[in-house]
Amino acid sequence: MAGRLPPVVIDNGTGYTKMGYAGNTEPQFIIPSTIAIKESAKVGDQSSRRLGGGAMEDLDFFIGDEAIETPNYTTKWPIRHGIVEDWDLMERFWEQAIFKYLRAEPEDHYFLLTEPPLNTPENREYTAEIMFESFNVPGLYIAVQAVLALAASWTSRQVGDRTLTGTVIDSGDGVTHVIPVAEGYVIGSCIKHIPIAGRDITYFIQQLLRDREVGIPPEQSLETAKAIKERFCYVCPDIVKEFNKYDKEPSKWLKRYESMNSVTRQKFEVDVGYERFLGPEIFFHPEFANADFTVPVSETVDTVIQNCPIDVRRGLYKSIVLSGGSTMFRDFGRKLQRDVKKSVDHRLRMSEELSGGKLKPTPIDVQVISHHMQRYAVWFGGSMLASTPEFYKVCHTKADYDEYGPSICRHNPVFGAMS
Amino acid sequence: MAATLKPYLTAVRHTLTAAMCLENFSSQVVERHNKPEVEVMSSKELLLSPVVISRNEKEKVLIEGSINSLRISIGVKQADEIEKILCHKFMRFMMMRAENFIVLRRKPVKGYDISFLITNFHTETMFKHKLVDFIIHFMEEIDKEISEMKLAVNSRARISAEEFLKRF
Amino acid sequence: MILLEIHNRVIEDILTLKFENALAKNKPETVNVTVADFDGVLYHVSNLNGDKTKVVVSISMKFFKDLQEHGADELIKREYGSYLTTVEDGYNVSLLFDLENVPANYKDVVKKCGLLKRNCFASVFEKYFEFQRNEQGGNKRAVIQYRDDETMYVDARTDRVTVIFSTVFKDDDDVIIGKVFMQEFLEGRRQYQQAPQVLFSHRDPPLELQNSNARTGDNIGYITFVLFPRHTCKDAQDNTINLIHTLRDYLHYHIKCSKAYIHSRMRAKTSDFLKVLNRAKPELKVKEKKTITGRTFQAN
Repeated sequence: MAGRLPPVVIDNGTGYTKMGYAGNTEPQFIIPSTIAIKESAKVGDQSSRRLGGGAMEDLDFFIGDEAIETPNYTTKWPIRHGIVEDWDLMERFWEQAIFKYLRAEPEDHYFLLTEPPLNTPENREYTAEIMFESFNVPGLYIAVQAVLALAASWTSRQVGDRTLTGTVIDSGDGVTHVIPVAEGYVIGSCIKHIPIAGRDITYFIQQLLRDREVGIPPEQSLETAKAIKERFCYVCPDIVKEFNKYDKEPSKWLKRYESMNSVTRQKFEVDVGYERFLGPEIFFHPEFANADFTVPVSETVDTVIQNCPIDVRRGLYKSIVLSGGSTMFRDFGRKLQRDVKKSVDHRLRMSEELSGGKLKPTPIDVQVISHHMQRYAVWFGGSMLASTPEFYKVCHTKADYDEYGPSICRHNPVFGAMS
Repeated sequence: MAATLKPYLTAVRHTLTAAMCLENFSSQVVERHNKPEVEVMSSKELLLSPVVISRNEKEKVLIEGSINSLRISIGVKQADEIEKILCHKFMRFMMMRAENFIVLRRKPVKGYDISFLITNFHTETMFKHKLVDFIIHFMEEIDKEISEMKLAVNSRARISAEEFLKRF
Repeated sequence: MILLEIHNRVIEDILTLKFENALAKNKPETVNVTVADFDGVLYHVSNLNGDKTKVVVSISMKFFKDLQEHGADELIKREYGSYLTTVEDGYNVSLLFDLENVPANYKDVVKKCGLLKRNCFASVFEKYFEFQRNEQGGNKRAVIQYRDDETMYVDARTDRVTVIFSTVFKDDDDVIIGKVFMQEFLEGRRQYQQAPQVLFSHRDPPLELQNSNARTGDNIGYITFVLFPRHTCKDAQDNTINLIHTLRDYLHYHIKCSKAYIHSRMRAKTSDFLKVLNRAKPELKVKEKKTITGRTFQAN
């Protein structure tokens, strides 16, 4: 419909909330999913304690960066492991996100929210209750993050290849998931978690720097490690060769990082060496950083796909999609593709040998898809889908909600796959 | 007004305690089924005549007994429009979470705001007197909560109006 | 947050970033962002003909035509003067910023740009305040259709300016909560003598609008502000406009916040009820007993 205002897309992650209007390529705000409230030290349980105090005290709060900067408030994180834990705070978080940040009259915009795989239907109902009853939104769609990440990868594929079948590797700051999706539906039983993500790489680099560089002020060492990770790190095809390369031509490969000591205001310099490729390497050799976990990411991907129903496996190998900030390292996709391909080919060869050469399996196409939107892949996928005319058809409307109740939001039909 | 509250609640308490004599009883109509008779109402001889205890026109309790189940429907005080919508909102909110409440019915009986269904399986696993306590506690609190919510809405409205007007 | 902000954060953020980037001599990047604001306003930030150093900020308002009748163009020219440019197709006002030539006071420029919507709105108020200051009565009433089904009327007399908002409550429950709020606006005025007089009517338009085709209906409310010279004088004018143009959104924002508050009360009470109900469940006495080494015995 012409003249309709753009839908609002909000992706609430554990660490960061990405929000903005559909149709844009980047979210307008990326803020920490945190809320700062005044908490009185009264007796009683948490929820009743919060209601006390003067009237309108519930409007005295901040979200996002402002929450972290404002003193004398308690900062809370209403989302844990991707799932909303504290609905009171979440409702207020949305309140301010909509009215203060996006400045949208929620009655005028359709909303697209995201949820992690394996979210409970009850949580969807609670979300719908807040959105429809408190905010009077005209329409709501709750999309699974992994599916949106798949949709986001369409930008780098041909029109004919646009399916909602694929394996999503979602790696943020805290944890990495490998999520198989078949025709828009998550195969929940096959999801695997990898305890290695952005934070672990930062710690690893920090460790390497601490052993060698002395100039870094201790209170800034984490920050420095993070900056080095984001600016210089990449994935190399072979560590031994890479070491040789560095040793032969140090001037070409060694980088320098400059920063300022926040206390003394003096400049300090750090040499950046092997950690450039060693940092991201812990995805492929986790034993470098974590003695308890030794399965490389490529092997996990392979296992996940092998656990899935046999008829979707080819599709899953064919589009392995990256999402989240920690998949942004250069050549990450290429190395992953090579390693997965290696084990797949090996398996095919084995079966050919076992059959005595009678069986000639068709080769399996392994493709890892990288694209520009990886960092906000989920939000971007949402923005893209929400700007299609089809979106309005699959949305649950307020009229439906009033007629049938919150249970309609338990199911959100897949759409957009046919284009 | 408050003087009538106590006898009202006492009457409800006694009637409930009396009605909570439930036993396991298989359906007489369908083989190997066990249904709350008060809901299916298929055999008249298993039902007790319903009792209405009312404090005034709006505040009343309907207690329907049967051999293996008991249904309590409560009409909540709604003095004005705002109490009406608050009550409606609150009841809907609770019924959405009926799963956790076990004894809460997902829909109220017609003419009432909220209904509970207690079967013999509930009375077998839970203390009867505590169940009665819960219903009474609920009735006491619900009125209080609704009037408090109404006050809260009013005071919010006042503050937001004042905040706006005082900037001029 | 009690009062709503009047500037647009997204626009300010984007422009600040662009200017600071330009000052830091970073390579300019393309920008193409469409964002909304209250009252169906759309902003579009883009590059002029693909030139990354030229940023165009356009605003579209459905009711801009109404505002133009009341001098919106002049006001925009006064406020934004040199930044005005050819209006982008589908929008009402466009501003052009040159990143190769960052103004020294770019922070003020950004601020001003964030107030674009407010300034458009201001035109009609300024005009009628002016009428009142010159004691010009009997002008035609200004009708601004500021949302699809909501209208604002502004009228000037020699001693007052009347602003009437009509607002629609989308939800039946909101009508009742809205009524409580509007009632309190009447009451609140008693305490603050300096505030304008407020009237409200539900369903039917106030007497002033009787001969117009103002809508009637169960979910419609009318709020009338009577502004006295105290509010319309030059010194107070900006503040009055800042407040009054957000009134509708302010009201709806607080209705929504109240509902959110009711929700949290209900959550608290529901968990309280659950606690009482759970008291009826007998506690499980059988506890797993462990030996000192942490092993359990199985009694068969």
